[in-house]
Amino acid sequence: MKRVVISGVGAVSAMGNDVSSLVKGIEEGRSAVHYMEGWNQYTGLRSLVGAPAELINKKAIPRKNRRSMGRMSIFAVQATEQALADAGIKHDELASGRIGCIIGSTMGSAESLNETFEIMLPQKDLTQLSSMKFFQCVSHTAAMNVSQCLGITGCVLATSAACASALHAVNVGYDLIRLGKQDAVLCGGAEELHPTVTGSFDVLFATSSNYNDNPHKTPRPFDRDRDGLVCGEGSGILVIEEYERALKRNAKIYAEILGYHTCGSGVHVSQPDKNSIVLCLKEALASAKVSSKEVDYINAHATATIQGDREEAKAIKEVLGDLIPVSSLKGYIGHTLGASGSLELIVSLAMMEKGIIYPTLNLDNVSPDCQGINHVMQAVSKDISIMVKNCFAFGGINSVLVCKKLK
Amino acid sequence: MKQEITENDIIAMTNQVFEESFEIETEKLQPKMNIFEDLGLDSLDIVDLIVALQQKFGVKIRNDERARDIRTLEDVYRFILSLKNEEH
Repeated sequence: MKRVVISGVGAVSAMGNDVSSLVKGIEEGRSAVHYMEGWNQYTGLRSLVGAPAELINKKAIPRKNRRSMGRMSIFAVQATEQALADAGIKHDELASGRIGCIIGSTMGSAESLNETFEIMLPQKDLTQLSSMKFFQCVSHTAAMNVSQCLGITGCVLATSAACASALHAVNVGYDLIRLGKQDAVLCGGAEELHPTVTGSFDVLFATSSNYNDNPHKTPRPFDRDRDGLVCGEGSGILVIEEYERALKRNAKIYAEILGYHTCGSGVHVSQPDKNSIVLCLKEALASAKVSSKEVDYINAHATATIQGDREEAKAIKEVLGDLIPVSSLKGYIGHTLGASGSLELIVSLAMMEKGIIYPTLNLDNVSPDCQGINHVMQAVSKDISIMVKNCFAFGGINSVLVCKKLK
Repeated sequence: MKQEITENDIIAMTNQVFEESFEIETEKLQPKMNIFEDLGLDSLDIVDLIVALQQKFGVKIRNDERARDIRTLEDVYRFILSLKNEEH
């Protein structure tokens, strides 16, 4: 099996339109969560907060490529361009067939889906529908648009698994490179903030609704006063690459991917389940050939839902104990759903590089049901050699990735 | 009373569709321009051109066979003009 490393990163998030602004915002302890103007017109929508990204420079993408893109695909193209530039991979290499593109999302563009229904449903009339709506709405819209826009002729896949989508993309890319099917893969996730997206969680009472007047105070992962998730948006893309190839190119290597695991809970579509998270963590460590004692940092999924944080904390405690620092990044940029795995992995790699662990924003009082693990409540300096990234999705989908800093 | 649409209106409104929907510069919008070769539209753009023209002029052209013969910008003007004349 070939070794796989991460050699490039790119990000668009509520904190800004590149990786450095994302990391800087988190380092400064800023919240990118805002009150969402206009959302109060939706009857029954309790959560009126979100972490919106800014759509800029979209016309830098040629019209023929841009026409099939919703907001999320534009974010994905911009993040991918950054990741390629960071990795030093030239555009003409993308047509070799040896470089793939795997980008997941919960679904296609929420804005485009809504526009489609608004055009089509009132009169049940399809004659006013643009040819482009299909391409903006499909589940593989980000992967498809990025690969078409950049002329990628390798494997193109879309790992739609809600909040685990981006980490699944990295997992699949890792396997393709390990098996020798691809030399490098651009992988990650993209997501779009929209009242219907927040609404889909809101109807399940999974969103935060007590902080509409004080948005910077939510979400509150692992906190006593947490009341649910806050949706965000953006895209995080990583270049992962076969180790020898990266060495030959003299590429900057952020980390080596040591292993991963993914599993279903088989229990409930929305209720998180500690036992399956335990299994996922154990199998991921086994796949990485890493013992729990060797882990230096856990980047938690922790979205600030009551049940999710509790089950994750219990699982971490059982598998990894109470000494390894744990933090969640949702308090800064919200839950970017299908993009969260890659955006948060990118920030975790920055922590690894800087030797600093960013705390869980808004974690003021650890909830009694989340105790027993080493919560990071203030930035701490620590050499991170091995880190674990968790992502858990509705549908009982668990995903855990293990990375190691190369000396 | 409904205002009669003039040929100049049709040209201006059609050009507006090409500017807004396909981001084509105003100076390129000359009657003899081939909408595929000169203006760069493709088969998917034609679907959107039809939708945009329908909305702009309040006409139904999605299933009109004559739309298939359109090659130049002038053909578009003439097609819309004939549709408008048929309304009377």
